[in-house]
Amino acid sequence: MQVHVCVNAASSSRTAAPRQFPPTAGHIVGQQQLASYLEKALDVGPRNVVLFLQDKMSIEDFTMYGGAFGNKQDSVFPNLEGALTSSSSPLVLPAVSWPASNAVIGQLQDQLETSPLYMDPETLSQLRLNASSPALLVFRLPYGIGADLMSAKEVLGGNDEVIGQVLSIMKTQAVPYTAIYTALRPSREAASLSMEAGLGGGRSLLQARGGYREREKERERQRKMMEKSKVYAPVEFKKDDSSCILLWARGLSVSILRNREWEEHDLTPSTFGDSASVKLHGSECDKTRARLVLNYEKVLGHNSFKVVFAMSQRYYKVSARRWFTLDAVELEYDGVKARFNGSRNIYAPAEYSYRCESVTNFRWPLLFPWSSKDPAIQWRVSFKDFQIQGFNVSGGDFSYASDCAGFFSPGIWMGLMTSLLMVLVLTYGLHMIMQLRTMDRFDDPKGPAISVPQTE
Amino acid sequence: MLLEWMMNGHAILYTGVTLAFWSTILIIGICYTIFDLGFRFDVAWFLTETSPYMWANLGIGLAISLSVVGAAWGIYITGSSIIGGGVKAPRIKTKNLVSIIFCEAVAIYGIIMAIVITNMAERFNGDTPDTIGARNYQAGYSMFGAGLTVGFSNLFCGICVGIVGSGAALADAQNASLFVKILIVEIFGSAIGLFGVIVAILQTSKVKMGD
Repeated sequence: MQVHVCVNAASSSRTAAPRQFPPTAGHIVGQQQLASYLEKALDVGPRNVVLFLQDKMSIEDFTMYGGAFGNKQDSVFPNLEGALTSSSSPLVLPAVSWPASNAVIGQLQDQLETSPLYMDPETLSQLRLNASSPALLVFRLPYGIGADLMSAKEVLGGNDEVIGQVLSIMKTQAVPYTAIYTALRPSREAASLSMEAGLGGGRSLLQARGGYREREKERERQRKMMEKSKVYAPVEFKKDDSSCILLWARGLSVSILRNREWEEHDLTPSTFGDSASVKLHGSECDKTRARLVLNYEKVLGHNSFKVVFAMSQRYYKVSARRWFTLDAVELEYDGVKARFNGSRNIYAPAEYSYRCESVTNFRWPLLFPWSSKDPAIQWRVSFKDFQIQGFNVSGGDFSYASDCAGFFSPGIWMGLMTSLLMVLVLTYGLHMIMQLRTMDRFDDPKGPAISVPQTE
Repeated sequence: MLLEWMMNGHAILYTGVTLAFWSTILIIGICYTIFDLGFRFDVAWFLTETSPYMWANLGIGLAISLSVVGAAWGIYITGSSIIGGGVKAPRIKTKNLVSIIFCEAVAIYGIIMAIVITNMAERFNGDTPDTIGARNYQAGYSMFGAGLTVGFSNLFCGICVGIVGSGAALADAQNASLFVKILIVEIFGSAIGLFGVIVAILQTSKVKMGD
């Protein structure tokens, strides 16, 4: 994540201070580099440093309010520009990483070996400066508090006036100085999309809500989340050097009921990622059948443990397309085979992959024991964020993922149906009411008004 | 002139409802086509995932409500004629109440069927198509079908008897000998409501909801 501040430095002395080259466009100056820039400037240049420290600053402030679009007369930085043009060695760093700019006081303190003096223009006029002894004068400048653009412009204009006052006071004192204009924090951050889009999972809402601090927190949180669910490649079974079966999951665990308690074993680290140790012996695939065998060792006390995914594809006449189904998920250990039937719910068109947030046999189950006496009744399997493809795999990537969650759920359909019925009833009722007419056969607008006598 | 036609309340209502309905269907259809999600259009999924309870209760609701609509419609048509005709010929009042009774019978058929169907709705344990079982699905759909059958039959029967009864009342007011013949027409009209009840009973005869 790149957030950066601007640093404008100008030296007032007429002596030949080495002109420093500004960094290449887009380069973000880090702490080391900033230190070296300052060192070079202060080695030869004047050792009186006037530091204008604004609360927040970004290069966007200058482009927005600095009359950069041919409207120089609207610029709110006349004094700043004057100082930069009249300086002998101006330096503008458009992008400085903000921890570095934050530490600029500390760096200047170290290099000048003097402590900073926090001042404002009134106190400066009373101060007598010496060209030989170093001094670090710090002027804190505010920034606009809200997102109100008008106030930011006014505040920047006010800051520029303060800069102008200070520089003119320094000029009257005829002491050579180096002026630095920077900030503690950036006023805007550049939303770096590549970071979020690339690493799968971290997608932040781009609406500006709550301001800078909340966005910072959101990004921190997503960065931590991305680190936790490291992105790894799917389990790939290759036949003759071309991928045949792909499997991916964020969590893969099996549990067995022993002594009336569920003992769980998480197979994710041994299947995916850097610590994967799974072997795919026994897997096979052809045009109509695919079988992925994951071989593990030492799972829940069994020396050899296999998880088998058996898939098949065929042509279905009514829908006139090929579909594949995950027929069975089998757990093989010690000669026992526990089978789960998945063909009822786990299916997708043969060209696509199947993806589901949660594939289990106990919570909203999609897998069912093959029969009521199958050893599978004492097992629990749970796949999180499960994606599988057994046919038509091209390259090492999944095809379009047909998700198990559709757009309309059964509940939505039922609600729509009953609502439709109600709407029809309402429509009919409205029709009836709207065709009621008042009797007007005997109305006579010109005749006498009806009078209902109170008494007989 | 189009504007005048549009200003008619009925036109606005019906264009509005039709537009909403068809545009929803069109947009959903277009979206499914564009994203190549046509394979997700699965009628079998809809029929097996929606609960049999919904279908059963819709049937019960439709049975009684449509029957009552038919009866009400018939009664108000006949009733207004009888009352209007009775102003000049008071003798028709008592005799023509039989038309009202024919209309009311239609509502009685409706409520009887609704109670019969309600008694068939039982609890069952099962939340997936496999565990619910074919028999419960059949029960749900049969109840829906029976409710629909009896409801619509009674609806049209009620309207029919109402209009005929209204004619009978006015004819009777003119000429007292006409009434008995017109009553035959009403009896035929009433029979069609009975057909609906018989068919509905047949539909629900095999219903057994439960585990």
